[in-house]
Amino acid sequence: MFRSHVTNQLAAYCHGELAPEESRCVAEHLMSCQRCRREYEEIRFGVQLVTHLRRASAPATLWPELELQLDHMEAAQHARPEPARSLFTFRPLVAAGVALLLVTSLSLWFYFRLTRPAWEVVSVAGQPRIGSRAIGTAGKLSLGEWLETDDSSRARISVGDIGQVQVEPNSQVKLVAARKSEHRLSLQRGKMHAFIWAPPRQFFVDTPSAVAVDLGCAYTLEVNDDGQGLLLVTSGWVAFEWKGRESFVPAGAACVTRPALGPGTPYFSDSSDEFIGALERFDTAKADDAVRAAALEKVLALARERDALTLWHLLARTNDNERGLVYDRLAKLIPPPSEVTREGVLRGDKQMRDLWWNQLGLGTAEFWRLWKGPAPNR
Amino acid sequence: MNEPVTERRLIEACQQGDREAFRQLFEAYRDRVWSVALHFTGDETAARDITQQVFLKLFTSIAQFRHDANFATWLYRLVVNLCLDEQRRRRRFISFDFLRSGDDDDSEIELKDWRAPLHSQEELFTRLEISGAVKAAVKQLSPKLRMAILLKYFEELSYEEMAEVLGCSPGTVASRLSRGHRELARRLDHLRDKLKPGE
Repeated sequence: MFRSHVTNQLAAYCHGELAPEESRCVAEHLMSCQRCRREYEEIRFGVQLVTHLRRASAPATLWPELELQLDHMEAAQHARPEPARSLFTFRPLVAAGVALLLVTSLSLWFYFRLTRPAWEVVSVAGQPRIGSRAIGTAGKLSLGEWLETDDSSRARISVGDIGQVQVEPNSQVKLVAARKSEHRLSLQRGKMHAFIWAPPRQFFVDTPSAVAVDLGCAYTLEVNDDGQGLLLVTSGWVAFEWKGRESFVPAGAACVTRPALGPGTPYFSDSSDEFIGALERFDTAKADDAVRAAALEKVLALARERDALTLWHLLARTNDNERGLVYDRLAKLIPPPSEVTREGVLRGDKQMRDLWWNQLGLGTAEFWRLWKGPAPNR
Repeated sequence: MNEPVTERRLIEACQQGDREAFRQLFEAYRDRVWSVALHFTGDETAARDITQQVFLKLFTSIAQFRHDANFATWLYRLVVNLCLDEQRRRRRFISFDFLRSGDDDDSEIELKDWRAPLHSQEELFTRLEISGAVKAAVKQLSPKLRMAILLKYFEELSYEEMAEVLGCSPGTVASRLSRGHRELARRLDHLRDKLKPGE
């Protein structure tokens, strides 16, 4: 369907100033319109740059100077000199100061308690609980609180005004941050579906072994009792990251994350069980283990053209010998562009890897690199 | 309108001539006013004058403030007017030297802010380099674009609030921010590779 360009709305979109419906339309348009996406990337880069401006501290001498001027000003206004202040005049002042301090502290305490950020929660089935109380049909999840579902309950959370999360049975979710630029949940165990229409990198989900960073998408995330997670992306992109290890997962793909290892290598969900099993063995085996070598051989042998996504990630997760094998297989499936050389890729040239990515039919690397920065290192 | 209770009390006390309340109000806003003035003029002396003028004006006119208005918006209108006055005055008498020194002091401030142990020396210097380049590029924007950027990032005002402060429509605010960001992106294209993920 034709939809007019959204260049006039891009700054407002970046700053979260659009109504949810408008924001969703812009996000959808950006997925399909290269021209607006380019504009958006420019503005977004500008936004990234400006965040480097720091608020400066005013000089400490400013108040004494100002007070002097105020004194002069008041002296000029009141030609009559003020009576000299004795110790007795100061006592009530001190008392008043203490009282003011008390009132201020109490007011601040009430203010912050009353204005603590909270997200709307509605019960979809059963009796979800927030903390120790059942929410009935609806409730609010405040910062630091846990939402828990039992085996017969489900709940829907409104993520500010940027999206929705459905929490499935037997899950435990905590609200970690509710700022305009950072909406963050923690999924301790269970399963959730997220649909986010805000600009990328505004919604995060912490799991015990990785953080899911929304890059404009819909996805399902599941965490088992051992802290192992599974991410399935249904639309857009999600970055899965942990201690510098990153996986970029597009629609139709999945990625497992494991405690102490972080995000595994992503793969398309329609891959064979054999392929997924071999990839799992590769991801979990020790670097010099024979199991790992055999698993890599299997992955490369079974890889289809579509599995270039997996092989591309492997380029950054293999040692020198392994990388040569991955290069050769990937080059057969998707020939690299002329600027990309075997030597360059083997020595870990990130720019070359990006250029190759652009041939995979998954959009340009610039689109998600804009938010994610350089290529993954591991 | 939605000002916190404590701020409302402070303003009311200021309206009664309470100097201590005024000092607290000054403490609450001094760094914000200073930052806008400093980044707008790129000159510490001018920023000092503007900041003092803002608070003197505030002191003399706070009695006229009515609580059905937003105090921050009201204050920033003073800041904007005084910055633009300064800009006009300078344009008449002095040539603007946007890249003059004086940034050295800012670098010191930022060195403190970055909490060195969290970053390697190299990262720290890269950040300072980016920050310095952004400051210089912001100073080269036209006054209208520059002010829009500063209000958005130092004061975190909404488009509606910025429109009220700048005396224009929210659409104009969006357009100025859009042009400002694109111009910064164009001028600082060489920094793309230096920005880290998520920055």
